[in-house]
Amino acid sequence: MRLRFVAASCACVSLAACGGWKSGQANSAQGNISQDSRPPATGRASAVTNAAATNGMATNAMVMLAVPLAKNQALHVMQVRHEGMETIGKNMKVLTRQVTGGSPDTGVVRASAAQIANLSRQASGWFPAGTGPNVGKTGAKPDIWQNPQDFSAKLHNFQLAAQAFNAAAASGDTNAIRAKFADLGGACKACHDKYRSEMHH
Amino acid sequence: MSSEKKQPVWDLPVRLFHWLLAALIVFSWWSVHHHHTDWHIWSGCAILTLLIFRLLWGFVGSSTARFSSFVRGPRAIAGYWRGQWVGIGHNPLGALSILALLGALAVQVSLGLIAEDEDGIYLGPLAGLVGTDTSDKARDIHELWFNVILALIALHLLAIIYYRLRGKKLTLPMITGRAELPPDTQPMRPGKWWIALICLAVGIGITRWIIAGAPPFGS
Repeated sequence: MRLRFVAASCACVSLAACGGWKSGQANSAQGNISQDSRPPATGRASAVTNAAATNGMATNAMVMLAVPLAKNQALHVMQVRHEGMETIGKNMKVLTRQVTGGSPDTGVVRASAAQIANLSRQASGWFPAGTGPNVGKTGAKPDIWQNPQDFSAKLHNFQLAAQAFNAAAASGDTNAIRAKFADLGGACKACHDKYRSEMHH
Repeated sequence: MSSEKKQPVWDLPVRLFHWLLAALIVFSWWSVHHHHTDWHIWSGCAILTLLIFRLLWGFVGSSTARFSSFVRGPRAIAGYWRGQWVGIGHNPLGALSILALLGALAVQVSLGLIAEDEDGIYLGPLAGLVGTDTSDKARDIHELWFNVILALIALHLLAIIYYRLRGKKLTLPMITGRAELPPDTQPMRPGKWWIALICLAVGIGITRWIIAGAPPFGS
């Protein structure tokens, strides 16, 4: 079983290939799954607004987009997503050291917090249907498009946590920074635990 | 085979060490696969305490616990291979397995101490002493190194099965601490319980110091 890790780590080296993997299947499958899972999907737009309205967040409408993307479009989104997540991760690592250390460097914390907040907003467009593992190499589980409402809620939580942390960083209040950073980590984890596979990188 | 003829071969600290270590290895594996990275880190720290304890007990413990009683040179190993070894405790060949397991676990714990998770949410207690790149590399090796530990555990279990097929039961003595002695051998000389407690206290102390972030308590 651990061989999967060997494979995963080797795959790490070929990061550049991310999103460039060939797939045996047309990308429409994900779109269909997503569409089938919602009862009254009379059309693309209504499906989007339905789910978005339920969660009270129009920002995550892209998660619901049920119309299949062209393959090259899908691969592009997946690459942007991958790079975005990597950048968020890098900033998180910088922040963890700052925040858990004695006295955080406010400038460093602010810069990273702003970058994460910015990327979190872009994340609304990172999960259109048809960007799952049957299209290309990705850690995004098919469950994302099977539980669009739950996923959207978690994504939204992450976005809120990222904004709140950004605000705390701007204020420079170390206690607030620590608290909001813990919330942010929790928001990342809540989604990753459920919707990210181990076969990513 | 009556139980009165059974004599002490493993003391309680060695047995507790063995089974706690086995349980914590399983728990470490399980917890990290079920997204309980915090538990995984605590489990690793507990293993660190056990390893420190075992290292010390290997110098001041009971006769079969001491490295000096079981770590032997190539000649003794070759002699064992030819069937010329009589004794209790780890045989000269098995000793290599013990050293390899303890060493591999020490490497694994050390890597874990300076690692960080891939999302930058969890840091090993000493990760603050190294950079992000080093921490990431340590995590990658930590994941790969587990395969080495698995291989050594597999070898350990295969050896137990092999001895069992040849009529020597090894598992029960590791539970009860007692076994029938080969002719002309002495039973285990026990260590002192308060020395065991000191070893444990030192293990806990060093672990707590490391959890605090080591040298002057963090970077």
